[in-house]
Amino acid sequence: MSRAFTDNINSFNSFNVSGDIILTATDDEPKILAWLSPLEPQVRHQDICEQRVDNVGNWLLETKEFRGWYDGRENGGENGGSDHAVLFCYGEPGVGKSYIWYERPSMRNEGHDC
Amino acid sequence: MLTGHYDSSVVVDYLCDQVMGQDLAVACFYYDFASREAQSPINMLGSLLKQLLSGLGAIPVEIVQKFRGQKRAIGGRRLQLPDIVKMCAAVTSLQRTFICVDALDECVPRHRLEVLGALGQILRGSPNTRIFMTGRSHIRGVSERELGGKTTSISIASREDDIVTYLRARLGQDTTPEAMDSSLENDIVKNIPEEISET
Repeated sequence: MSRAFTDNINSFNSFNVSGDIILTATDDEPKILAWLSPLEPQVRHQDICEQRVDNVGNWLLETKEFRGWYDGRENGGENGGSDHAVLFCYGEPGVGKSYIWYERPSMRNEGHDC
Repeated sequence: MLTGHYDSSVVVDYLCDQVMGQDLAVACFYYDFASREAQSPINMLGSLLKQLLSGLGAIPVEIVQKFRGQKRAIGGRRLQLPDIVKMCAAVTSLQRTFICVDALDECVPRHRLEVLGALGQILRGSPNTRIFMTGRSHIRGVSERELGGKTTSISIASREDDIVTYLRARLGQDTTPEAMDSSLENDIVKNIPEEISET
């Protein structure tokens, strides 16, 4: 997250960051965040990471579809690359995806840390 | 099997790594059939907003006001979906934002439409936002419809070619090639991908 942005918030009680939204620092923040949703997807993410075999699934990061989606802003001109705004990865359960994901990175001799 | 979740978690981790030193924000959500009652559209979109605000370390004044106002209602009142969507669009406009939604097929169908509609609204309000989704192929149509022409799809199921390519590469590295003949090699290349497809 942008550090300069956070510093600004600490320097001023509240400020207008754009025409649409005014941000403020508040002691109520933990209560407000809990009020917005009781769910904690970050916990689920950690659970899955712990079960995952190292380097599983990295091939996806190298596909042209992923790169096009990730870099879309640079390619999209005035529309902000919105043609690539959504990447939908689909498949039936149990098609051996974990097998491929386990083996492919070692074949390519490269990896990415969890 | 957790393969779809692996897929999402790899992408979430990759994006989180990119956050370092950049004006990026990442929010993720993992659908789980066993938690379908709790994973309502308000809770789901609310949790995305929560993650984005938590990263900013600040709260929109409008939300603070609504939070304080709702306490006067009996039992309190949740922020409603249109407000959550509006706030998500405003906050995602502040910086490049990636939203990852895993196992969309495990979401209740009527909730799924609502969530896809909400994600579409966020994209319209914040065109630089990127959404990554995983799910079984039967929800591909509705996802593409709700999100307009903005969707690129990758099929995981059709990667049998990759398995064959991989097997041939490994067979080429066989340290005892004298034990191999073309009939056995063809059996391996034919049968293993079939076995994998049936697991």
